[in-house]
Amino acid sequence: MLNLRLRPEEKAALKLRSLYENYGYSFYRMSRFEEYDFYADKKDFLTSKNILTFTDTNGKLMALRPDVTLSIIKHIKNSESVQKFYYDEKVYRVPKNAGTFREISQAGVECVGSLTGENIREILELALLSLKTLADGKKYILDVADAGIIAELLKENPNKKEILKCIAAKNIHGLKNFNAPEKIIDLMKIDGSIKNSLNEIDSSTAEIINSLENYHGEIKIDFSAVNNLNYYNGIVFRGFIEGIPESILSGGQYDGLMASMGQKNSKAIGFAVYLDTIRNEE
Amino acid sequence: MINIALPKGRLGEKVYKLFAAAGYEFPGMLDNNRKLVFENEELNMRCFWVKPFDVPVYVERGTADIGAAGKDILLERNPDVYELLDLKAGFCRMAVAAKNNFQDDPEKILRVATEFPNIAKNYYSSIGREIDIITLRGSLELAPVLGLSDVIVDIVETGTTLRENNLSVINFIEDLSARLIANKSAYKFKGNIIDEIIRKVS
Repeated sequence: MLNLRLRPEEKAALKLRSLYENYGYSFYRMSRFEEYDFYADKKDFLTSKNILTFTDTNGKLMALRPDVTLSIIKHIKNSESVQKFYYDEKVYRVPKNAGTFREISQAGVECVGSLTGENIREILELALLSLKTLADGKKYILDVADAGIIAELLKENPNKKEILKCIAAKNIHGLKNFNAPEKIIDLMKIDGSIKNSLNEIDSSTAEIINSLENYHGEIKIDFSAVNNLNYYNGIVFRGFIEGIPESILSGGQYDGLMASMGQKNSKAIGFAVYLDTIRNEE
Repeated sequence: MINIALPKGRLGEKVYKLFAAAGYEFPGMLDNNRKLVFENEELNMRCFWVKPFDVPVYVERGTADIGAAGKDILLERNPDVYELLDLKAGFCRMAVAAKNNFQDDPEKILRVATEFPNIAKNYYSSIGREIDIITLRGSLELAPVLGLSDVIVDIVETGTTLRENNLSVINFIEDLSARLIANKSAYKFKGNIIDEIIRKVS
């Protein structure tokens, strides 16, 4: 037996890895580097536009990975069957307020292929279980929303960018100023409880959420979880733990990325856990 | 426990009076002393004065669950928080002002003095004008008068200071007022208390 004193984020990562293994997800290990062109091509799908680059021995411009999902999707084989992966990796980004690049610990899961409702249910359950594991007795909440509805309502809206900012900030007076569709304002006002708001989202998604009956106290329908319509096209979700001031988990369905990689018939859903937010707590 | 950050100064005092009138009183808040943190044990709430520019920082990082901040400061700092209510206090506007006889020469890079570099950058990039930003910490009117800048991007309330210095507003950017903001995570777990505060002060 090794006698090691693990740091909180290391302990958390190991607990999550064992959770994902138990659900039949396989560990995905990848290179820290990708060719820079790959990210330049896919920059719509990156949350952070800053990329750390260097020149490789053969003169090629390389990048330190700012994101794990893109690499996984790029390297998996195009296949009809459902593939399940998890990772526990470092990414290199410029976090807000840092002013410089930082190595960020991130764990997460991806499920790709011809997904069924059962796969989506499993990912939501894993997100809830991840939060439960990390919360360690504290309260946790998973905000769930439907990005597809918002995308449909904002199609060709000239104020799309501003309206999305107001949605993320629950800023109802701002939505009115930008003449947001009445329907969006109604969606922002719903109280979030499963009982009262499940009919506001896509019916197949609602059915899945309804089936997670052990978690109805922890799931909230909250459209402020919709942030990036370039990336997510269906269900989106965001996790919070009491006492941690920022969201610790975020994910959703991202079929658009699959299509942009030439896998038009594949769907994908996944989430990332930001392990550094735990370290900051200790 | 709910922690509330209010901006030190005139706007904060206005907002505090809204809170007090709604039943959220913190004895000694308006006294002229050096105390910074005020607690109301009965309400299980704590209120503190911070520099107006710092309110979003306290709220985004969760030291305060809610706070009141001018829209100017929210636009400048762009914090990841919920903006739940327009408190309808401290109305003013963000505008571009220049000397009365100013003629913009589109062939030149426009020199812009401001306390709000991000707001100025966003505004001029939205209209496609190249600018040179000069960040100052006050007395903005001096910059065009002495020739440090061509224009200023600043808060305009009545316009008196501008007029006294032979300056006038040439472009309007945005209406401003105080907003009630909340930490996103705190709102998940203390949402019912925060919603009650909002109902009472609005």
